[in-house]
Amino acid sequence: MTPTPTATATATATATEPVAADAAPSAITLTGVTKTYSAALPAALQGVNLDILPGTSTAIVGPSGSGKSTILRIIAGLEDANGGRVRLAGRDVTALLPEERGIAMVFQRPLLFPHLTVLDNVAFADRAAGLSRAQARDRAREHLELVHMAEFGGRSPHSLSGGQQQRVAVARALAAKPSVLLLDEPFSALDPGLKDDMHAMIAEIRQAVNPTILFVTHDRDEASAMAERIVVLENGQLLQHDSVDHVFHRPASLAVARLLGGKNAFAGTIENGVHRSALGDVALDGDVASGPATLVFRHEAVTSTLRQPTSGADADALATRHADAAACQRFGPRELHGVVTSTVQRGPRREVIVQVADAEVYTEAAPGHPLSVGDLVTVSLPCEALWAVPAS
Amino acid sequence: MTAALTRPVRPRRRHLRAALLVLPAVIPVAFVVIGGVGTTLLQSLGLMPLVGSAELSTAAFNDSDELLTSALLSLSIAVVSTAIAAVIGFFTAVLIISGNWGGRIVGALGAAAVTVPHLVGAATVGLLLSDSGVLARLFGVAPDAWPALVAGPTWFAVIAEYAWKESAFIALIIVGTLATRITSYDETAAVLGAHRFARLRLVLFPLAAPSLLVASAIAFAYTLGSYEVAWMLGQTYPEPLSVMALRLFNSASLTARPEAAAIGVITVVLTAVVVAAAMLGLRRMRAWR
Amino acid sequence: MTLSTSNVDVDRAQRIQHERRMPGDAGRPLSQSRGVMRTARIGSTALMSLWFALPFLPLVLWSFANSWSAPDLLPMTLGVDGLTAALANGAVAAFGDSLLLSLIVAAIATPLGAMAARALSRRTLPFGRLVSVLLFSPVLLPPFAAVLGINVVLLRAWVPPELGVILVLVVVAIPYTTFSMRVAYAAYDDGFDEAARTLGATSRFALWRIHLPLIAPALARSAFLAFLVGWSDYLVTLVVGGGQLVTLPLIIASSASGIGNESSVAVLSLSAVIPPLILLAFVSRARNLNPGKQS
Repeated sequence: MTPTPTATATATATATEPVAADAAPSAITLTGVTKTYSAALPAALQGVNLDILPGTSTAIVGPSGSGKSTILRIIAGLEDANGGRVRLAGRDVTALLPEERGIAMVFQRPLLFPHLTVLDNVAFADRAAGLSRAQARDRAREHLELVHMAEFGGRSPHSLSGGQQQRVAVARALAAKPSVLLLDEPFSALDPGLKDDMHAMIAEIRQAVNPTILFVTHDRDEASAMAERIVVLENGQLLQHDSVDHVFHRPASLAVARLLGGKNAFAGTIENGVHRSALGDVALDGDVASGPATLVFRHEAVTSTLRQPTSGADADALATRHADAAACQRFGPRELHGVVTSTVQRGPRREVIVQVADAEVYTEAAPGHPLSVGDLVTVSLPCEALWAVPAS
Repeated sequence: MTAALTRPVRPRRRHLRAALLVLPAVIPVAFVVIGGVGTTLLQSLGLMPLVGSAELSTAAFNDSDELLTSALLSLSIAVVSTAIAAVIGFFTAVLIISGNWGGRIVGALGAAAVTVPHLVGAATVGLLLSDSGVLARLFGVAPDAWPALVAGPTWFAVIAEYAWKESAFIALIIVGTLATRITSYDETAAVLGAHRFARLRLVLFPLAAPSLLVASAIAFAYTLGSYEVAWMLGQTYPEPLSVMALRLFNSASLTARPEAAAIGVITVVLTAVVVAAAMLGLRRMRAWR
Repeated sequence: MTLSTSNVDVDRAQRIQHERRMPGDAGRPLSQSRGVMRTARIGSTALMSLWFALPFLPLVLWSFANSWSAPDLLPMTLGVDGLTAALANGAVAAFGDSLLLSLIVAAIATPLGAMAARALSRRTLPFGRLVSVLLFSPVLLPPFAAVLGINVVLLRAWVPPELGVILVLVVVAIPYTTFSMRVAYAAYDDGFDEAARTLGATSRFALWRIHLPLIAPALARSAFLAFLVGWSDYLVTLVVGGGQLVTLPLIIASSASGIGNESSVAVLSLSAVIPPLILLAFVSRARNLNPGKQS
């Protein structure tokens, strides 16, 4: 028996559930895809199942070596899987060559063909499909407009900046009329400001032509900026496939929470809907099963404020009430008392580590509370931020 | 300690250091190339006779029929063998780049062919193609029924030897300049829906074209100026330029030296014209990039 | 309200969606099945292998043939008559001279080429383009045209023929060493030398302990090319050497111009083919160190 909180169970179930027969076929379906590069190495992918709906944008995240690029290359047909099937729009393409799959892919490097102008690069797919040069160029101009590069058509690729080259690479991929657009860490080599421009461009493209997008990134911010769904991979195994909000705040496992940068995890047990750990007793919402479980919450969702000298007794009283019965919502946010042990400024935000009883809690300083080491603070845990994952 | 690194080096001193590094190579090359070609030119104009007084004359260039025949023969051999070598070299490069075991075998055999001296190549092609050669025996053809491939009017064996060696050279040059970049461009083209032949036509060939052109120009220049292959496997008459020049150089006649030098000058000019045309083509290719 | 503009976008989106290529869409030309392509690839691999390997066949067959009369498919009696004849022609001395000449040419042309390439790669050299053209010119120059002239100069300057041969062959080899080292330096990261200097190494120490080990594989390839120039040469040794230097190609040429010498020619040719192949195997193995630019 696993003490998985039921809410998590439902979330993952809906994500991997096969689509109903009358619905439009999934844009991408992977069933049991396995990839081994050599007998000496562990499998790059172990029986991955994945279902991507048409018109959605999905990010694949995971540590390096987790197999995230391998998934893309197998869907593209650039690698053959050792086992499993790849379906695109309901058709089995496992045995087809890359050029027969109707996909397009953008790599980390723009890889614009150096012997062609920007316009002819975008016209490439149509030329390869046998269209005349004039026809192909007409269509290419539309796609260059889509990425705001229309005036650069006559230039040679190496005269463009890295960001401009990647815009052209995206236009070239779209001009191939792909049923699925695959992006392999497309913007990771660009400056932060340029990345934001690219995310805006992808948003525009999605509004204009609504392609199905599957992309790999190691940047959590990029994943949430460009996708509405996230696939989490580790060691070739799919850990979770869910909405952006759920993977961050309702992770399926401690591993997912850690991979997405969650810093707070407290091992303990659940009894009657109350989680008990070094942190103290914390009531959880929803119908949570009893047994060993780890409490997780995002540090961004938890604020520390300077403690008012009078509030101590109230908070202690709250803590007692929390211990009594379940359902966080009945009591309002759980408040803990502690001492600041270190602070790190991250841009406009201030990360504060607070010692609470025997535990260290990662929090953020509330606006207007310039906390420093040794300050006595109140940490407030909103009910929505709290989540329990199965003990590892 | 790091002061030595950050101390600004005056530009003039940097120029001097670079010049000192390059001079040991420049001096012998300039001596042999400029001295050699210059002396050949002076000899051809009668300004450096073995005996007698120097006198400017174009007498060495007078036998224009003979020279024209030889020049056309040399050019034809060079054009045909380079064209064959370019086609075979390009497809060999494509095979090698494709990266499977077959490509590796072809690559190893090509590299082996490049290391064979042309003179040895001529000797073995002679053993292979002559009327009592290995091929004639393999096909069971009697010597008098076998076509005159060696020392015949078609210059078949000469062209075959050049095409064999230079195709390996051209293939390895293309592989050397493309191998690291080509796979990612080929993959990009494939995921954009381009089939194998479209990729060959639209990506592989245009990307390989500059190095194919340069390698072919080098092969052409070599073939035009090479001596030993045509001397061993060719007919005695008409002669290619290099064979005629060496025969005249070694002959006892006093007028022969300026004539040999004149052939040298003509060959240098022909090579220069072809190389200049190739460079113009290369520049156009780059501009079109 | 952005309704009108978004309507336009929807139209275009629908049109583009209708044109979308779906997997397995028919009508694209040049589609080839894996099976046919595989056969074509195997066939062309075999053909190309035959093209490059065929000229080696007579060397192997004739080297060990004592007698092989015309119509027979294979040699009648095997033996070492060819070897004996080759040895009698002075094969051992010629082999030694060839080896010595090639090693000297490689030993001189490699450092000269490496230094020139270093200077050219730094772009601080005055007249850099002109120098490049000059250093490359021996590849394009018809050897006999230069040799006829330089021979007269060397004779008048009383340069010993052996030195003359070495000088001219070094010049012929310099384009190969310079340009293979330029390729290596184009991919070489000066950061390694800078890192060594900031760690307290003198420039001499950095050169010997950092720079040279990192470019050693490229130096080996350069030296191999220069060795091939010396090993392959016929004309320069013949004309400039003036009979003082008898290398392997010279006795191969004199044997081949005789009649009935097939097995001797084959043995001599084989002995001229094998040393470069052994060196090639070593050089292509020395590739592991990669002083490439680190991104």
